[in-house]
Amino acid sequence: MFKSMKYVLHENFTNLFRIYSISKYELLADMRDSKLGLFWNFANPFIQVLTYWFVFGLVWDKDSVNGIEYIYWMLGGMVVWFFISPCITNGCNAIFSKVNVITKMKFPVSILPATVVLKELFNHFCLMIILFVLLLFGGYYPTVHWLGLIYYLICAVVFSISLSMTTSVLNMLARDTRKLVLACMRLLLYLTPILWNIGSLPKFLHPIMMANPIYYIVQGYRDCFFFHNGFLYYWKSMIAFWVITFVLFAFGSFMMYKFKHKFIDLI
Amino acid sequence: MEKEYAIEFKHVSKIYTLKSKNKEHAINKRFYALKDINFKLPKGEVVGILGTNGSGKSTMSVILAGISEIDEGEMIVNGEQALIAINTGLNQQLTGLENIELKGALLGLTKKRIKEIVDGVIEFAEIGDFLYQPVKKYSSGMKSRLGFSINLCLDPDILIVDEALSVGDKGFAQKCINKMKELKKQGKTIVFISHSLPQVRDFCDTAMWIEGGTLKEYGDISEVCDHYAEYVDYLNGLNATDKKAEIDKKFEKRVISNVEKKNFFSKIFG
Repeated sequence: MFKSMKYVLHENFTNLFRIYSISKYELLADMRDSKLGLFWNFANPFIQVLTYWFVFGLVWDKDSVNGIEYIYWMLGGMVVWFFISPCITNGCNAIFSKVNVITKMKFPVSILPATVVLKELFNHFCLMIILFVLLLFGGYYPTVHWLGLIYYLICAVVFSISLSMTTSVLNMLARDTRKLVLACMRLLLYLTPILWNIGSLPKFLHPIMMANPIYYIVQGYRDCFFFHNGFLYYWKSMIAFWVITFVLFAFGSFMMYKFKHKFIDLI
Repeated sequence: MEKEYAIEFKHVSKIYTLKSKNKEHAINKRFYALKDINFKLPKGEVVGILGTNGSGKSTMSVILAGISEIDEGEMIVNGEQALIAINTGLNQQLTGLENIELKGALLGLTKKRIKEIVDGVIEFAEIGDFLYQPVKKYSSGMKSRLGFSINLCLDPDILIVDEALSVGDKGFAQKCINKMKELKKQGKTIVFISHSLPQVRDFCDTAMWIEGGTLKEYGDISEVCDHYAEYVDYLNGLNATDKKAEIDKKFEKRVISNVEKKNFFSKIFG
């Protein structure tokens, strides 16, 4: 098992330029596809945020969560969901969408999940800049705690790559995986306390929610923006997060290693 | 003496599983795409691979390129091999120049190396002002010229060309052949897979004839080509029922029946 993890890590780190080029040109090609290009990368999240804000903020009249105005509280968590969600859905398809490449040339397949995540990372940076501006208007000024975002961003990247590693191989074995993942995404959004506060749940459900790796990241972002409790305050979630991520990565790279030459026969 | 050979095949077989999606024919068979192939390919040789449709040529090319794994036997390769894949990796939305960079990166070239090859590729592909146009505007000939040119800059020891020259006009095919002849002079081993007998005769030293997944003949170019041409004529001369019987017979030989079905979990952990 360690052999396969070493193999995957080695392949990823020796092909950094390849990963960068693939995601750069994928992004470029996506933008060329439409007239407005980059604009849609922002318009789509903006409209979604507006919808949620309308339903939860205005209609259900949630004015504040732990002293933070609802719209800002939601944005702080939502911004990372807009990164993780496409990473999961596209990551699942990472290998299958490159089938014509891997059948025609010798290609390090295990770098594909990383290319997907890197591509989404660019969008995430753009959204983060907009969010910073919005927070400034809302009176939340940068503090030293905001540097913690870097740690949580790394968490999000590692988690997305590990998950994609597993789902993308499973998707090659059975295409049902992608359908399942797509169907579960909406569920995941509502099951993770992103739009609602965890405090409104009965106490006995808290540990289950805390073990959700996505919630760990969402909570981390909010902590950096508003609450300033520090990393160690969430140590239980932290352990759960890294254990889950490690298991996903180990399983994903085990399968990646096992099937590295067999993908061509699985189409 | 071992080093003298670029590629060595020892009893190589490749097996595909045939999955019946139709309930009435729900028998899972296994099928030899290639069966017990033995040969030694000396370094610097240019070999043509001939064979009718479905005889296993494309399977052969992906195995030689190291993309697909063999199921039985042993394959020894001395040197870096590369499959010339014309249209793969080209993105319709990107311009010619961006595609050169993208495909170069896909093929694993470094940034420096890509900068070096750009001029050569542009010149060889003859795309001129279209360089800054998206590839979707290109004619199909132009696309293949671009793809082919990028591939040629890879500089591997063993080149595998699979039906690559069937696209593009005669002039460009000739240009490619000339370029490959140059590579031949540099001592590269080239495996040339084509349907076009004249091209094979003109370009290759030796030929390999694959029929029904087995190696039928491997030897001097003119001999093998003659035999192959004879066989094709014979096959075309047959009437429809005889021809079908012949093909069915070949197919039966390649099937392995009675295989247990593997389920999803044994595929992962088995």
